[in-house]
Amino acid sequence: MDIGEKDKYELGKRDEHNNINYQAPVLSSDWQFGGANLTSAGMSLVPTTNPLAIGSSCASASLVDSFGSSLWEHPSNSPNMGFCDFSVQNGANSSNAMEIGKGLPNSLRSSIDRPFDMGWNAASAMLKGGIFLPNTTGILAQSLSQLPADSAFIERAARFSSFNGGNFSDMVNPFGVPEPMGLYARGVGLMQGPDDIFAVNGMKSVSVMESQKSKLDATEATRDAGLRVENRAKASPLENERKSESLMQPNEEAKQGTGGSGNESDEAEISSRDGGQDEPSALDGTGGEPSAKGLSLKKRKKSLQDAEIDRAKGGQTSTKTAKDSPENQQKQSMMINKTTGKQGSPASHPPKEEYIHVRARRGQATNSHSLAERVRREKISERMKFLQDLVPGCSKVTGKAVMLDEIINYVQSLQRQVEFLSMKLATVNPRLDFSIEALLAKDIIQSRAGPSSTLGFSPDLSMGDPPLHPSQPGLVQAPLPVIGNSSDVIHKALSSQLTSMTGGLKEPNQHSNAWEDELHNVVQMN
Amino acid sequence: MDSQHLNPSSLKSRFTARFLRALIKINAQKPISSSSPREIFQRYRRIKVAADKSMAYSVRSRRTWSRATLWKLRSRSRRRLASSGRRSSIKTRTTTTTTTTTTSTNHRAAIVEKTSHEKENKEDHVGLAVQAEELRELVPGGESMDLCNLLDETAHYIKCLTTQNKYA
Repeated sequence: MDIGEKDKYELGKRDEHNNINYQAPVLSSDWQFGGANLTSAGMSLVPTTNPLAIGSSCASASLVDSFGSSLWEHPSNSPNMGFCDFSVQNGANSSNAMEIGKGLPNSLRSSIDRPFDMGWNAASAMLKGGIFLPNTTGILAQSLSQLPADSAFIERAARFSSFNGGNFSDMVNPFGVPEPMGLYARGVGLMQGPDDIFAVNGMKSVSVMESQKSKLDATEATRDAGLRVENRAKASPLENERKSESLMQPNEEAKQGTGGSGNESDEAEISSRDGGQDEPSALDGTGGEPSAKGLSLKKRKKSLQDAEIDRAKGGQTSTKTAKDSPENQQKQSMMINKTTGKQGSPASHPPKEEYIHVRARRGQATNSHSLAERVRREKISERMKFLQDLVPGCSKVTGKAVMLDEIINYVQSLQRQVEFLSMKLATVNPRLDFSIEALLAKDIIQSRAGPSSTLGFSPDLSMGDPPLHPSQPGLVQAPLPVIGNSSDVIHKALSSQLTSMTGGLKEPNQHSNAWEDELHNVVQMN
Repeated sequence: MDSQHLNPSSLKSRFTARFLRALIKINAQKPISSSSPREIFQRYRRIKVAADKSMAYSVRSRRTWSRATLWKLRSRSRRRLASSGRRSSIKTRTTTTTTTTTTSTNHRAAIVEKTSHEKENKEDHVGLAVQAEELRELVPGGESMDLCNLLDETAHYIKCLTTQNKYA
């Protein structure tokens, strides 16, 4: 998985256009590697020499350069993507956040064990540089937009969402540069979009959220209108984290992380695509109002607490998010996420998770019972779709009831078919030598008997299932036209087989005709 | 169909191997009997049982319906043997007790579960209760599952039935 992610990551890097050339290609390559490690969602700590080399050889500025260059290489629609990755990685270990903030070089050295730390350090280093800041805004946007394509990216984003609070505080304090924070937050915020949809990845403790909130407040104060995206990004990470917290069961984190990764890859792409487009507009609309933000944060905090309580009850309540309607950003993010989620869910809804964390959609009941019901309904509809593919001729059927009827008919017909085939074997068996010939003969007879067995179905059908009769003729008639063709084919096949095999094959052909007579007898016996 | 292409030891190969073996055994047991309908009927039943059993075996109790089928077959054979009082009944009992106890407990628990789930189903999908019942009757072991799992089992069961039809 790491390798795959790394490949994607590098591919993404190649695709994009570098507006700014950053020196130290070695560094960039190293960073890429480190980034790839980071993108591996910090799940598996990939010990690599590269981070070490980077840490040891590069100063923070150089790291920043490499970081920036690597960011450059990532084409991205949303500026925050790249940052999100790092933050996500960092977020994975909230405890490390403080450590990271303290000293880059030291953390760099120790980053071997923590790739995400490395990423965070790089990010912080980059932010420190400040050189990149004015340039990176546009570039990051470009590079970051492509990041969502990586499934690893999504994972990172998920982690990042939880870590956001810690990152922000650390970033602000040591650097005291609002802009970097803004960019960072932007990335975080954008990442949060996909996270909202998934709400899968393991999330952090409340303390992180609180710290995040406080940091958000601090960062918000420093923000200016131009960095509205940032505000949104911050709010959304907080919001995402809260949501994820409320939704996540600590026990299920691992499962969700693994199960959600598949979802994330699909939904993240969709959400990131939509989010990248929608969010900037949404952000502009909402604007950055620190006061409103503070209120929203407080509300979110309360809702988080409530959500936690609900979680204790049912584990499926994200209803608080729906109640936070006064918060435009939240609403918008939710709506955006939900729309993207809805778009994504039919295509890529994964039933892998043990716990399905449902978020109350806008305008829907947020009762825990209704949420559970909705989850069940979604599951059932998903399976119905799968069955629709399985059962032939059910693509036109709409509605669960009719579909179920078709499925029932199909299962009954299959069972009867098995009975008929076994009956056929009972009659034909003595004639067949059980060997490879038998298998071949069976295959041949199978194709021959398929249509004939359906013929045999009709008497049985009339006996057994009058109500199903209307549907059965559909099944029976379909093979009937085929019989004429298949019998010729089978005769030819049989003759060809006869030349190579013993004469036993002739008999099945003859017996299949006689079998039908016996079949009627047997049916009467039954 | 996909499952058959997936891995070498797929459902199809497992099923065909077992089924062939069972057929050979049956054929060996009753060497060329007369073509009276009764005999044929008996053989038919045996072959059908062999087909179902081999299918359920190739799905190694991973599925509820396979467990139910195996349990049914084993209990039926045990009962039959017990009534005739043969030695093999004891053997089958001892060998199958471990498996059947689990399956029986599963069944009982499942039945209890089913009632509660049934109510839930009826609440949510009142219109589908009838079909759900029908499906439960059709799919072996489907009496003890809620709609979600029932649909899952149905999908797998359909897949196995098609395999059976194709290669038997």
